[in-house]
Amino acid sequence: MNITIKLFAALREALGESELKFELSEVSSDAAPADVAAVKAALANRGADWREALYQPNLVHALNHKVVFTDAVVSEGDELAFFPPMTGG
Amino acid sequence: MSVSLQPEAINVAAEYAELIGDEPGAAVATFTGYVRGHAEGQALTALELEHYPEMAQKVLLSLGKTAVERFKLSRWRIVHRFGSLSVMDSIVWVGAVAEHRGEAIAACEFMMDTLKTDAPFWKREQVGAGEQWVARRDIDIYRRKRWQGEAQ
Repeated sequence: MNITIKLFAALREALGESELKFELSEVSSDAAPADVAAVKAALANRGADWREALYQPNLVHALNHKVVFTDAVVSEGDELAFFPPMTGG
Repeated sequence: MSVSLQPEAINVAAEYAELIGDEPGAAVATFTGYVRGHAEGQALTALELEHYPEMAQKVLLSLGKTAVERFKLSRWRIVHRFGSLSVMDSIVWVGAVAEHRGEAIAACEFMMDTLKTDAPFWKREQVGAGEQWVARRDIDIYRRKRWQGEAQ
């Protein structure tokens, strides 16, 4: 039950990782599927730097390449990305 | 009717020729964005553009399709660079073909205003000896919001 986590820009830099696997069963069961908030909370347990990066104001969450709120349900094989506000163009 | 994400320079003349094709529409509008030579009063020496390729492709394709519906475009194109850029390099190019100038010009502005806040690109500026991630500006959020909730 793996999902892929991707980190970009200042977040990637602060955490020193751009991509990692996350075991979804850590935070979900058949009765209670995981949402983005639950995955975030589990990742935040990795340390203060993770907590700070993932709970910064204006953090953007994208699930399978679409911006979502933290109540979006996460399923096996999904790609969940965290990044700061976009500044292209 | 397509998107290009590319590290190389944008060939504006070739893009324009490709956009209008054999039969230019009645109204053709394009916008080219270049890397500014300064950031908040300091000289900028270089710019690095990070992106999320799969998502950027999807967001920009969807943006083009929305622009077609909204402004009745017959053709459109969005080109966005990533990687290392120098001052005065082209960074983004959008083109729209419509029946009338209003739609063509508005479509370019709509595409630019929306991609600034919705497409996953992040600028990192080299200013003097230091580097910094560019922060989102309020004006960009304001400009993006202008397009929401308007009559189609």
